[in-house]
Amino acid sequence: MNACDPDIFAQYSVLADSLPVAVVFVSSDGRIAMANQQAENLFRYERGELPGKAIEVLVPARFAHHEKLRSKFLAHPESRPMGVGRDLYARRKDSSEFPVEIGLSKLQADGKNYVLATVVDITERKRLEERFRSTVESAPTAMVMIDRKGHIVLVNAETERMFDYRRSALLGQPVETLIPQRFSANHPAMRSGFFEKPSARAMGSARDLYARRSDGSEFPVEIGLNPVDAPDGPFVLAAIADITWRKQAENTLRSANEELERRVAERTAELAGRAEELARARDALERSNLDLQQFAYVASHDLQTPLRNIAGFAQLMQRTYQGRLDTTADDWLQRIVNGTQRMHALVRDLLAFSRVDSAARPFGAADLNTVFDDVSSWLKPAIDGAGAIVTRDTLPIVMGDANQLAQLLQNLIGNAILYRGEAAPIIHVSAQATNGHWTIAVRDNGIGIDPRHHERIFEIFQRLHTQREYPGTGIGLAVCRRVVNRHGGRIWIESAPGAGSAFLFTLPGTPE
Amino acid sequence: MTNELMGAKLANILLAEDNEDDVVLMRHGFELAKLAVGLHHVENGHECMNFLRKTGKYADAPTPDIVLLDLNMPIMSGREVLAELVADEKLNHIPVVILTTSAEDQDILSMYKLRCSSYIVKPVDFDQFLRVIRGIGDYWLTIVVLPRRP
Repeated sequence: MNACDPDIFAQYSVLADSLPVAVVFVSSDGRIAMANQQAENLFRYERGELPGKAIEVLVPARFAHHEKLRSKFLAHPESRPMGVGRDLYARRKDSSEFPVEIGLSKLQADGKNYVLATVVDITERKRLEERFRSTVESAPTAMVMIDRKGHIVLVNAETERMFDYRRSALLGQPVETLIPQRFSANHPAMRSGFFEKPSARAMGSARDLYARRSDGSEFPVEIGLNPVDAPDGPFVLAAIADITWRKQAENTLRSANEELERRVAERTAELAGRAEELARARDALERSNLDLQQFAYVASHDLQTPLRNIAGFAQLMQRTYQGRLDTTADDWLQRIVNGTQRMHALVRDLLAFSRVDSAARPFGAADLNTVFDDVSSWLKPAIDGAGAIVTRDTLPIVMGDANQLAQLLQNLIGNAILYRGEAAPIIHVSAQATNGHWTIAVRDNGIGIDPRHHERIFEIFQRLHTQREYPGTGIGLAVCRRVVNRHGGRIWIESAPGAGSAFLFTLPGTPE
Repeated sequence: MTNELMGAKLANILLAEDNEDDVVLMRHGFELAKLAVGLHHVENGHECMNFLRKTGKYADAPTPDIVLLDLNMPIMSGREVLAELVADEKLNHIPVVILTTSAEDQDILSMYKLRCSSYIVKPVDFDQFLRVIRGIGDYWLTIVVLPRRP
């Protein structure tokens, strides 16, 4: 260790060299009395090079006023950190600068005043601070740092933009500046509470938070709080996100949702109303169906009884007074009997027509071969009477009501016998499979039907002939169509006058 | 009437029928069929039961050999008569022939379930009606052996 005055500082040198910080003794004339090894290393001087030099060799040239400040300190020497609130820089031997923190204290030795300066290189700290600042500055959220007293010590660019303040107008201001008045009264207490138990967390979780712009307008925010421990005291760093857009989206979504729910409720009520209407209509239909069945029953009995009585007495008269009246009376009696018979046929066929639906039985597997054979035996008197030949292919088993299918075949074969031409009737029943259903055909060599009547003949009471030509009620084919429709099929005719007729109808096949 | 001619050996038939025309036609039918029977007539089910139980004005009525029963009658229907009759120990030996306009499957089935002896649908044609009456006479009064009560 070199010194101007080796005697005085010899006793300090061993001690000073063992210190972990750079230490410089400055005499009252501004010259370096002694510098420890750490100091000479820090300023990049050779060992023993510094003593005797003016202290200003260690101060950047731009701090020209250093001499004045030095004299001031000597006049009022108090141990204190140097240059509070300002950045201090030191100068190395090669004139390069580096940031420092300097502690000053007065020392008396051998009747002279000295200043003891401890110098700490804060390059690394400055670098970290700078990184922190730039990180905060470029953050996409507003960041506000406050001290214990609630004063704003740091804001970033996003804060200026979001709150519409200049940075300078915020620094040093209470943070309550940024809070709507209705919330700001409670805020200091909550702020103190946070400093008591600091932890990184969201502020006012599950509550709606609002912030205030410079013009007093408010906007919804989300705030994250982070305690920051620094040498100069605890701070809180608040990250503030403007959630106006999100709130709007939420509101839009909520109202859209409410609208949707309202519409669903409306539609549900509407449907309930419809369902009720349908239920009422169904009840009405069931009642009318019952009425219809009742009517059918009444028709079959109460209508037939007087009819039978008229026929009975007319026939009784024919028997009893045969030959005792004139021919006109005999003719009239016969007409009465014929009329009652025709009326009886009408009532019977109408009943059959109404019963297609009212007296329907559930569907099952129906073997059309059996159905055909039954029908042939029922019609045997008519077949024999007309000298008809009635044949069939091998017919399928179909899903249906065997009784009604028998009625269907009976009507069609019966018609084929009735509407015969000059030749003896030849009637053939065949079947063809098409796309999962069956097409059944009843073909004859009868008188045929003009194509312009092909639709009409399936309507109830529609006839093409007088009773004298061909007796009938005009109900048989209407029953046929009703039966086929009930089986989910359709019925049609292929025919021309003199060319015979083919009645075709479709039926569902049995499931495999 | 024929029953007066044939005396005590005459078969008694009870006809329960509300339609008077049918009754007249029936009587003529029996005559034309040359069937000598004691034909008794009641016009509803209630009268029918009174006749069978010999109550009131029917105290002296004979026990009929067969009952010809119409289904649809006022006051008490043929269905009710048959149900009551088959449940009655003193009456359930009498054969009951249903003679009705109804060709309903349900009527036919329910009457046989009540153990009616026959079910006949009244034909519209008088000639056929006559055949039915002859049939009844041939079968019930000639072929069949009827029970005899002491």
